[in-house]
Amino acid sequence: MTTATNLRAVPFARRFLTFTWAVIGLVVLVMVAFAFIQPSILVDTLVTGGMWALMAGGLALVFGVMNIPNFAHGEFFMIGSLVAFTVFSPIQDALLANPSSVILKVAGPFPGMIVAAVVGFVCGVLLEVVLFRPLRKRSREQWVMNTFLLTAGVSVLLVNGDRLVFGNDFRGITRYWDVKPIQILGVSVSVDRAMVFVIAMVMIAVFAVFLQRTRTGRAMRAVSQDETGAQMAGIGLNRIFVLTMGLSCALAALAGAALLFMYPSFPDVGIQPLYLAWYVVILAGLGNVQGAIIGAFIVALLQTLAVYYVGLGWVDVLPTAFIILILLFKPSGLFGSEVKGVWEQ
Amino acid sequence: MATEAATPVAVMNQVRARARRTSRIASLAVVVFAVVLPLIPPFNGQDYTRYLVSAAFMAAMAVAFDFTAGYINIVNFGFAAFVGVGAYTSGLLAADLGISPWIGMLAGAVTAGFVGLLTGMLTLRLRGIYAAVMTWFVGLALMGLARNMTEVTRGSLGLNVPLLLDTSDNLPYYYVILAMLLVTITVLTIATRSSLGLAFRAIGMNLQAARASGINPTRFLVINFTLSCAFAGWLGGFYAHYYGILTPDIMLTSHTVEVLAVAYIGGRGSLWGPAIIAFPLTIGVELLRTQFSNLPGLHLVLYGLLLIVVMIFWPGGFAGGVRRVGARLEARWEARMKKDAAEAEPEPVPGA
Repeated sequence: MTTATNLRAVPFARRFLTFTWAVIGLVVLVMVAFAFIQPSILVDTLVTGGMWALMAGGLALVFGVMNIPNFAHGEFFMIGSLVAFTVFSPIQDALLANPSSVILKVAGPFPGMIVAAVVGFVCGVLLEVVLFRPLRKRSREQWVMNTFLLTAGVSVLLVNGDRLVFGNDFRGITRYWDVKPIQILGVSVSVDRAMVFVIAMVMIAVFAVFLQRTRTGRAMRAVSQDETGAQMAGIGLNRIFVLTMGLSCALAALAGAALLFMYPSFPDVGIQPLYLAWYVVILAGLGNVQGAIIGAFIVALLQTLAVYYVGLGWVDVLPTAFIILILLFKPSGLFGSEVKGVWEQ
Repeated sequence: MATEAATPVAVMNQVRARARRTSRIASLAVVVFAVVLPLIPPFNGQDYTRYLVSAAFMAAMAVAFDFTAGYINIVNFGFAAFVGVGAYTSGLLAADLGISPWIGMLAGAVTAGFVGLLTGMLTLRLRGIYAAVMTWFVGLALMGLARNMTEVTRGSLGLNVPLLLDTSDNLPYYYVILAMLLVTITVLTIATRSSLGLAFRAIGMNLQAARASGINPTRFLVINFTLSCAFAGWLGGFYAHYYGILTPDIMLTSHTVEVLAVAYIGGRGSLWGPAIIAFPLTIGVELLRTQFSNLPGLHLVLYGLLLIVVMIFWPGGFAGGVRRVGARLEARWEARMKKDAAEAEPEPVPGA
């Protein structure tokens, strides 16, 4: 990047901030309004929004750093739910055998989620090393489109690989924590859903601190801003790419694991989280991680409103219409995009 | 005469003429082969004829898909939804109003083309990945509509549609879809060879340069997209009246990915590559599916693997391979002609 673009970036950043805050304020206002009219809408929005934020944050990160629009992102959600189910089932059996064990009751669900995140990380690393690196070496011509189609192939492969190995069955659980629901704002919320929100918030916080405060996180952001510049500053691109892909897939797998009680593991389970994450990312602007986290709550709100006032089947139609409208007026998404040159690829 | 034949330009022209002749003969041979194929054992059995029908259907869809993906470099991720729009239009017209499926199929093409026009006008101002993702969203929304407007489409219960032909034999259907495939490929090939096609190619290769040379990109992108969607709708009409039952599942993204896989394995930007490769691929996949009916998803695993391998290692696909062979043949002809000319005229008179 030349100095000229850096100079121009200053007023843009200021505009970006005010616009972002305006949107956040509006969303919070709408949510507060619903807290009085129909509190369960607020709760649903926060719970699902937290998880879409994990999905969309990872998707946006990979696009920002590696310029890969990952169509297979939902499949890591599927892998996460599958791993969590496999790990949690024996724990559940153990819990049934001795129901008085407090440790199993409280900590039982966590091993599944942790293992899911680890497996997700490994899968992401494999994806980068086995597929993207050879392609990057061969040609970077039309990189964005080619990787999009490549990940479409990966998605088909993983979905049907799952179907081939594990069959077309639903593998789900009714709940992680077998405790009475808690009361929030007069709405009874199951502990599972509350925990999903807590996990999402903690992970987002960790993720944000990692990106902002650690050397590696800074290196990642540097690569997303300018690959060549980052390379000149002595950042090893391969290491960053591997880490980015792994992290993004780990987040998706964690989301799948945490939502196992709502989305039983199934070969096609990833498709809805996938397109919702894509709604978020397109709405927020490709490659914008902070925007994606805010956008996740906007999409969750739209989705919840559609479910409450129009009907379950309209979950896809309403957000789509809204996103198309937004893009007509702001083609680079609500919060603009820091990724340059994507438009022409 | 002999001196003229010896000049490099003349040799080149001769080689080109011969290449054109050869490719014309080859394509004629392929068409004749496709026509007689269902008469040759083992392809004359009902099962194989059914596979051939789905192969020709897949081929035609891949051609229509390649028309946008290969020429203007916009991947229509909502392709299956446009097929579905055509299928539902034709199916509903026939089921509710009793309109002949033949007219219904054309009406399906018009509707899908119109929806494609609207989608194109909305999304094609965006570039590359944005356009692909937006067409995907539109496709998802269309599928959502088909799922939810149960009083019209009967949703996932399935819409019963009258059949196209008054027979349960698959052979007549094969000739219908083969004819449709040939019309699709002919019309779209003519479109790509016209001045329109030149604009498409220019836009697909370098948008900025095309804009600089006075092409209004959005207009051509929308024309291309609309045409492709109209053919998708027409083919969707055939689907509806061949299977006789329609569910919103026809619009699933996974179907788009299947078409995409065939188009890319066949070789993007050639039209004939996807059409030819669709036959062995689809028939092989159907055979696998019947052989290993206890292993669901096996055929799609294969599609996914092939797509990945082609994307990374063999970006030209099948058409690229054929082109490379063709180029080698041309080089050999050229060398031989030059040698012949040199032997016939050992001392060419300069300036004669």
